[in-house]
Amino acid sequence: MNTSKRWLPLTFKIALLTLLLLWTLIPIVWMVLSSFKPNDIITASTPHVFFTPTLEHYTSLFSSGNSLWPYLLNSLFIAGVSTLIAVVLGCMAGFGLSRIRIKGKQHLAFWIISTRMAPIAAVIVPLYLLFRYLYLLDTHVGLIVAYLSFNLPFAIWLMTAFFDDLPPDLEEAAMIDGATKLQAFRYVVLPLMTPGLVTTAILCFIFAWNDYAFAQTFSGPSTQTIPIAAAQLLTQTGIDWGKLLAIGTIVVCPMAIAGLLVKRWLVKGLTLGAVK
Amino acid sequence: MALTTGKPSAQRQGFELAMMSPALFLLALITLVPFFSIIWMSFNDVSLMGGLAFEFSGLENWKRVFTDPDIRSSWLISLVYFLATVGLEMVIGTVMALLVYSLTRGSNIIISMLLIPMFIAPVIVGLLGRFMLDPSHGLYAWLLNESGLFDGNILGSVGSAMVAVILMDVWEWTPLVALIVLAGLASVPEDTLEAAEMDGAKYSQKLIYIILPSISNILLVALLIRAMDAIRFFAIIFITTNGGPADSTKIIPIRLYDIAFRFFDLGYAAAVGITMLVFSIMVATAFTKLLKRQETSS
Repeated sequence: MNTSKRWLPLTFKIALLTLLLLWTLIPIVWMVLSSFKPNDIITASTPHVFFTPTLEHYTSLFSSGNSLWPYLLNSLFIAGVSTLIAVVLGCMAGFGLSRIRIKGKQHLAFWIISTRMAPIAAVIVPLYLLFRYLYLLDTHVGLIVAYLSFNLPFAIWLMTAFFDDLPPDLEEAAMIDGATKLQAFRYVVLPLMTPGLVTTAILCFIFAWNDYAFAQTFSGPSTQTIPIAAAQLLTQTGIDWGKLLAIGTIVVCPMAIAGLLVKRWLVKGLTLGAVK
Repeated sequence: MALTTGKPSAQRQGFELAMMSPALFLLALITLVPFFSIIWMSFNDVSLMGGLAFEFSGLENWKRVFTDPDIRSSWLISLVYFLATVGLEMVIGTVMALLVYSLTRGSNIIISMLLIPMFIAPVIVGLLGRFMLDPSHGLYAWLLNESGLFDGNILGSVGSAMVAVILMDVWEWTPLVALIVLAGLASVPEDTLEAAEMDGAKYSQKLIYIILPSISNILLVALLIRAMDAIRFFAIIFITTNGGPADSTKIIPIRLYDIAFRFFDLGYAAAVGITMLVFSIMVATAFTKLLKRQETSS
């Protein structure tokens, strides 16, 4: 057995781990569980673990006059398009940035990363004026552009990290065999990049799907995304917790599953390749 | 690398440049235009009444940034929030990683469960926080009440509201630190650990003299990533307390949002925004310096 793994007493280890798991999971489990509770049980003064589950909150979300569908479609469309653009352009630029040797490359890389790190609150102010001036408030294009402001630099930087791990010998060998750079990229490099592309796409999608601040400021009646639907229920007096928890579950579950699917590459993704 | 011993000619880089240009052009368009406009805005009185109007006001906004007591107190609250969240996340995240690393079985499923909060939209974290802490039927409020620890309105009282929003951030982002540290633990020299064990080293000694030094670089990466994001995001507080009660959780991004979109004092908001940008550029610089150092050392 691995000696480094034998430390602190086993019971202590289990106790600590259980504590951390409870701390992490209780709110999530409680949200999902409560989204199936009838209203009087949600708002009971003592917590109920046992109850007859109901789908009423979910059905009311999709059937009532103020249906969740438009929000859901807005979210899917805006996050999807912004992800697509970010991944395609980011993949191309990532390859270029990884392979190019020019003076000031580091400054270029720094500029790219610094745009990603800009505080959202500071970015919102000039973008708001710009969007107002260009009539992009309450448009899908506006939100797609806003999400590109963080997803594009993210995709470029992350794809660069993936391309850096791929030895240039592969393309060079293809080029010696007579392929052009474009052919080498298209037929040799790109097929090997599938994990990188999928990871980048999933993370970009999650960032865009999860955004609240940009959507809150730039969206309007016809472009509101699903986090806005949740927030709107929250600000009204007499919160409809059942509906709210159902929305929460709908927002969270697909993203948690998608995120766990790329778990292997998550460290590279979320540290932008800083950890090998 | 081996193929190009001479200076790379401009022609040979043509393909790389062509691949980069669409993204760089678009990125420049969507970041540089706002960047220069925020600088210009900070020297103006920006009015939205009857169309957009700029009125040059010189250093007026900047004088306010450095003299406004509200801004100063918001920076102070930000500092507390920042140190508490990043500090707790680093400590708990490292413990989490060490625990998972020490498992011989099931570490994969356990780390997966621990990672889930990271994927949850901050607005949902905020909403979940409000649900769990609701004074009349929240599970955590009930537990605190039953155990006699706290029986007020957690998000509605100065002090406890701050603790709550800090813990929500810690809840969401500690797993990221754990994940990064866990990746670093793979590089701890196993034979050195075994040798130390042979010599009768206690776990604490191994931790201080072997494990922590060999993951120090990665701890720094985790610290910088969290530091960057802690100033970047504000949705959790936005949705839970929106800066209240009595401005006790009004971190600088919330203050900025108020100035811009509640009082529509956009020129002043721009100046505050630039001070935030300066702060994040300092962290970004540290981050890239560290990356360079890692590249040369590996």
